[in-house]
Amino acid sequence: MLHIEHYSKTYPGGKKAVDDLSLHVRPGEIYGFIGHNGAGKTTTLRAVAGVMDFTEGTITIDGHDIKKDPVAAKKVTAFLPDNPDLYEFMKGIDYLNFIADLYDLPAEQRTKDIAKYGDAFELTGNLGSPIGSYSHGMRQKLALISAFIRRPKLLILDEPFVGLDPSASHLMKGYLAELCQGGSAVFFSTHVLEVAEKLCHQIAIIKDGRLVKCGPTEELVGDSSLEDVFLELEGEK
Amino acid sequence: MKKFFALLKVSVKSMLLSSTNSRGKSRKKAATGAGAILLIAFLGLYMSGLYSSMLMQVLSPLHMEVLVFVFMGMGALVGGLLFTAFAVKGVVFGGRDNDLLLSMPVSTTALMASRVAAIYLENLLFSLFVLAPAGAVCAFMTQSGVGHSLLFWVRLLIAVVALPLLDTALSVLLGALVAFLSARVSKGALGQNIIMGIYMAAVFWFAFNLNGMIEGLAANAAGVKESLSWAAPMLWMADGILGDWGKLLAFAACCIVPFALVVFGLGKVYRQAVTAFAARSARNDYKLSAQTASGQKKALLVKEARRFFGTPMYLWNAGIGLIMLVGIGVAAIVMQGKLDEFLAMMGGALPVMPIAAAVMGFCLCTCVIAAPSISLEGKYLWILREAPVGEQPLLWIKTGFELLLTVPCTILAGALLTVALRLSAGEGAVMLLAALLFSVIHAAFGVLMGLTFPKLDAVNETVVVKQSLAVTLGMFVPMAALGVCGLLYWLGGLIAPWVAAALPLALLAAFAAACVLILARKGPAMLRAL
Repeated sequence: MLHIEHYSKTYPGGKKAVDDLSLHVRPGEIYGFIGHNGAGKTTTLRAVAGVMDFTEGTITIDGHDIKKDPVAAKKVTAFLPDNPDLYEFMKGIDYLNFIADLYDLPAEQRTKDIAKYGDAFELTGNLGSPIGSYSHGMRQKLALISAFIRRPKLLILDEPFVGLDPSASHLMKGYLAELCQGGSAVFFSTHVLEVAEKLCHQIAIIKDGRLVKCGPTEELVGDSSLEDVFLELEGEK
Repeated sequence: MKKFFALLKVSVKSMLLSSTNSRGKSRKKAATGAGAILLIAFLGLYMSGLYSSMLMQVLSPLHMEVLVFVFMGMGALVGGLLFTAFAVKGVVFGGRDNDLLLSMPVSTTALMASRVAAIYLENLLFSLFVLAPAGAVCAFMTQSGVGHSLLFWVRLLIAVVALPLLDTALSVLLGALVAFLSARVSKGALGQNIIMGIYMAAVFWFAFNLNGMIEGLAANAAGVKESLSWAAPMLWMADGILGDWGKLLAFAACCIVPFALVVFGLGKVYRQAVTAFAARSARNDYKLSAQTASGQKKALLVKEARRFFGTPMYLWNAGIGLIMLVGIGVAAIVMQGKLDEFLAMMGGALPVMPIAAAVMGFCLCTCVIAAPSISLEGKYLWILREAPVGEQPLLWIKTGFELLLTVPCTILAGALLTVALRLSAGEGAVMLLAALLFSVIHAAFGVLMGLTFPKLDAVNETVVVKQSLAVTLGMFVPMAALGVCGLLYWLGGLIAPWVAAALPLALLAAFAAACVLILARKGPAMLRAL
C-alpha cells in the first residue's frame, strides 16, 4: 500500500531531517513509527501525505507516486496532523461535508458514515455549532471523523492519541482495526509505546533521521518490551 | 513600567512584522515592504495636502483658517476609526498569544495598554498624515503668518499626538462591543455584520454631511463654524493649533481622559473580558439529517464564501469597495439632475467617461478579497494540501471568488453610470470593458501578491486583512496602474480620441494577460513552496 524508497528530506540551510529512509506498509497492516522528538517522524508523515515536498527518493501510495500523481495518491489517503487546525468559521457538519465533497463521497454514504462515527465519538449533537466553539478534544474527534468517512486505503496519523479522552482512544483503536480488516493500512507515529506495542503489526524506529530498526512487532520486541528496545536503540539504557 | 515596555515592544514588533511575509528575510522583500509603507504615506500626505490647500484657498480670504483644521481633524478621526475599529477585536482581544501572556506575572492593565498602544500607533500615523499637510498648507497659504512660528508647530504636534487617543478610545469601545456580541449571540458573524453595517452607515452619513458643509463654506463660513458646536473638541483643537493654549489643553484633556478611562477601566477587567469574549460553548442539539453532495469546485468556492461572509472584519474591510461601487452607480442615477447641472457648468471640458472608469477602478482597488486569501489559509493550509485537489484549481477558485463578487457589481455600476452620465453606447462599452479588465487584474494580481508575500503565521486575521504586504501591494499597485492609464489617456488624446481610449485598454489587457499567465504558470509551484 505504501512504499517509501530512499526518502530524504533536507531543510533549507542544509539540515538533513530524514536520510535515506525506506519502508513498506502492506494492506491490512497497522504500522507504528516511533522515535524521539525531532527524529524525523512528522517530516516523514507530512511527505507521505503530500503536505510537504521532499528532496530525494520516491513515495508511492496504492501505486500512485505522491510527487508525480499527487491527486490520485491523496484520493486514497487521509492524513491527521498532531494538532489539526480546522476552519473555525465552519460548523462541524459543514467541515465534514466540505471534506466529503473534496473526496467526491456520495450523499448516502457520507450521511451513513457521519452518523456512525459522529454517534460513536458522541459528537453528532455538536455538529451544528461552529468549530471555533469546540474544545481541543472535540476538534480532534471531528478531524478523526473526517478521516474515517473517507474510507481511506491509507490512514496517516501523527500522534493521534494526544488530546483524546480514554474512551475516544479506545474507540479509535477499534476503528483502526476495523479499517485494516477491510484491507486498508494505517501508518502512525506515537510516543505511547504501550499502545504501539499492542496495536501495531509492524514497527519502525527512527533516530536522527535514519531508520535504525523495523519489522514485525513480535520479532522486534522479542521477550523484552518495546520501551526497553527503544531505549536501548536510543542509547539511553 | 519595564514590563509594559517589554510588552509594547512585542506588540509593535508584531505590528511591524505584519507588513513582511512569513519568510521575510531577504532585503528585497524588506525593501518592498518599506516601499509599500512609503507609498501609503505619500498618498496620505498627497490627499490631505490637496484637500487642505483646496479648503485653505476658500477660507483664507475669509480669515477662517481654523475650519481647515476642524475638517482635517474630523477627517483624521473618522479615517482612523474606519481603519482601526475593525482591528480591535483581533489585536486587543483576540490574539493567539493571549494564554501565554495572561499567564505571565504582568498586570492585565499593562498587557491591555501594550495592545491598545499598537492601535494608537496606527491612529497616530493617520493623524500625522492628515494634520501635518494641513499645517504646511497653513504655513504657506495664509497671510497672517500664524504658521511661521515654532510654537505653531509645537501646538500642531500636541494635537497630532492627542487626537489618536480619542480615536483609539472609541475604536476599543466599539471593538469590545463587537467581541462581546460575537461571543454572546448565536449567529455571531451576523450580529457583528449588523453592528459594522450600522457603524459604516453612520460614517458615510457623517462624511456626506461634512461634504455638504464644505460645499457651503464659501457662502457662509462663519455660519458653518457656528453649526459645528456639537463638535466642540475639534473646534478647540483648531483654535488651539492657531494659538489658543487654553483650548488646546481642553482638547488634549478631551482625548486623554476617555483614553485613560478605557485603558484603565477595561484593563482592570481585561482577563474577564478576554475570557468572556473567547467563551463560546458548542451547542448539543444538532439532529443529523440526509446530507447532500456537491463537487470539489463548488465546495472550495462555498468555503471561500463562508470565510468571507463569516468573518466580519474581512467582509467589511474587503467588501466596502463593492458597496461603494454599487453606491456610486445608484447615487449617480438618484442625483442625475445635479450631475447634469455640474457637467453643463463645466461646459463639456471634463473627460467624463475616463473619470467614471477611474472611479470604478478606485472602488475595485479597495475590494482586496483575493490578496489576503492565501495568507488567511495560514494554519489551515494543511487541509488543502492534503486534499486531492491540484494547486491550479485552488488558485482559480480564489481568483474566481473575487470576480464572482466584483464582476456583477462592476456591470451594474457601469450600466447605471452610463445612463446617469448620458454616455453613448460605445463610451459605455469602453468604460465597462476597462473596468472588467481591471477587475481581472485586481483579482489575479491579488492572488499573486498573496503567493509572493504570504503571511501564514499571523497571530490573527486582522493582521492579514489590514496590514499584510500582500494586501497593501494588491491595493496600491493596481491603483498606480490606474494613474498610468490616466497618463496614457492624456497622451493618446494628443493624437486622436480613439487612441486615447485604446492605449489604456491595451495596457489593461496586457496587465491582465500577464497576471493570468504568471498565475497559471508559476502559481502552482509558488503555492507548493509555501
